[in-house]
Amino acid sequence: MELFRYSRSIYGGSDQLIGASWDLLPWFVGAAVVFIIVHAILSALAKRRARRAAA
Amino acid sequence: MDQRPPDRWTAKAAASGRVRRHSLLDRAYHWLMAICVFVLMATAFLPILGIKFEWLDIHWTTGVALAALVLIHIARAVFFQDWRNMWIGFADLRELWGDAARLFGSRKQPALPGKYDAAQKLYHLGVAVVVLAVVGSGLFMLLKIDTPFWRRNPYWFSADTWGVIYVIHGFAAMAIVAIVIVHLYFALVPDSWYLLRAMLRGWISGKEYAQHHDPARWKA
Repeated sequence: MELFRYSRSIYGGSDQLIGASWDLLPWFVGAAVVFIIVHAILSALAKRRARRAAA
Repeated sequence: MDQRPPDRWTAKAAASGRVRRHSLLDRAYHWLMAICVFVLMATAFLPILGIKFEWLDIHWTTGVALAALVLIHIARAVFFQDWRNMWIGFADLRELWGDAARLFGSRKQPALPGKYDAAQKLYHLGVAVVVLAVVGSGLFMLLKIDTPFWRRNPYWFSADTWGVIYVIHGFAAMAIVAIVIVHLYFALVPDSWYLLRAMLRGWISGKEYAQHHDPARWKA
């Protein structure tokens, strides 16, 4: 997986940095989804503990 | 949910039954910013995902609109509102620690926050950094396109510097996608519906104020 995008000059020479790699987009989306799932599970467990403590 | 006794209401909140949380101007800013962000995300990422259309003009004009909105928001927050409502202090760090501890099993009662809780302040800080990065880099990128107001001048920066500007814009844009997804989750989760209503209609009930906020830290 690449972090950056490069262009190669038709005249040769070193690669030129041209931006972030769009291949990373699914990783950003995935990180958000994982955060939501973990938060939802922990919140549900915390609420269950609170209900049990109140009962 | 922890039920606070009525004596925690301020007289004003108790009399009206409602507490104004967001003025019309702040709600308009929020929803205009949301529209801009969704248009910018669509015009940035749909072409990358293979849906081709003339995206550039929509993208840069919406970006300029977002930049204007951000400038207005900063001026309003600094000169016309209490910017300390969003400042992260030691009490907020303690609150964040308590929130995390409760998620992992602590039964200690939370201290009530002011207008915004610590997690909201942290989120706002993240949004501020990312939006300023994407807007700042985007404004520089306007130098590379012809508009009705100026002619393009790609030689303003070296190729290496342009590369860095595009990297900042790209990473910030992808971070915004993640931030928007998390924001939608917190906006739609039932515990936060009263905040969603406040962002639509401007107010929370006196009961919600008493349950969720410390009147000493946020005077209604």
